[in-house]
Amino acid sequence: MVGSSESRTKNRQWTVLVTAIIVIVAVACLSAVSTFVYMGAFDVSADTPHSQPVYWLMQTVREYSIAARARDAVPNDLSDAKRVTSGAGQYAEMCAACHLAPGMQRTEISQGLYPRAPELRRGSSLTPAEEFWVVKHGIKMTGMPAWGLTHDDEILWDVVALGYCRDS
Amino acid sequence: MTMQSSVTRVIGIAAISVALASGAPLTFAFAHEGHQMECNEGSINAMKADIQSMPDGKAKTTAIKETQAAQDMLRKKDTKGCMAHMHTAMEAIEK
Repeated sequence: MVGSSESRTKNRQWTVLVTAIIVIVAVACLSAVSTFVYMGAFDVSADTPHSQPVYWLMQTVREYSIAARARDAVPNDLSDAKRVTSGAGQYAEMCAACHLAPGMQRTEISQGLYPRAPELRRGSSLTPAEEFWVVKHGIKMTGMPAWGLTHDDEILWDVVALGYCRDS
Repeated sequence: MTMQSSVTRVIGIAAISVALASGAPLTFAFAHEGHQMECNEGSINAMKADIQSMPDGKAKTTAIKETQAAQDMLRKKDTKGCMAHMHTAMEAIEK
């Protein structure tokens, strides 16, 4: 009986200790995060690049987020010349200022954006469905607008067709 | 690459060139050539941002190495050396 009572007391002491440690760690983390946020420790300027780990984190989050959401069916006429021609016109109007084009010099906006907009000439690792999703919905905190708010899907697929013909 | 995809590609490039020539806003302001950059922290940061968006490969590795060398030279206040490394880094970035 005595042994059982002692064991229960010890268990209670452990529980209290573990709970205290968890609370202290949680409060410390919360304080650290609050200090970081409210002291303005994070540099949000676009002319100071992220450190490599932060850049990797942002890029990885973005890649997986796009892959998880790009579910639209790809039209089977993406290499159609009419689509590509229409896409080129749209591209010149909507995209070239940031993503540039063959033979085009870098614009001031393309040099000032952070993260830099991917250049058309470098190709893309995105699938057509992913490119469509990006063009339609945009990407937060990159300067990439959601063109789907002002353009219909067919026009956006034309833009994707241009990229598709470039990569094929 | 199939014949059809080659033709489509040529059409695409031609179409975008025509579209750009006719439709691109005249207000596009072409910024300085990278080679005219000054050796300072701001220019080095701009090159680092450019490098981050590059696909992995030899050009990126060279650009990283040269930018680091330029930064080292900047710390040592060797402007000539810094400019030389920045020039090489810019060439790698533009590839």
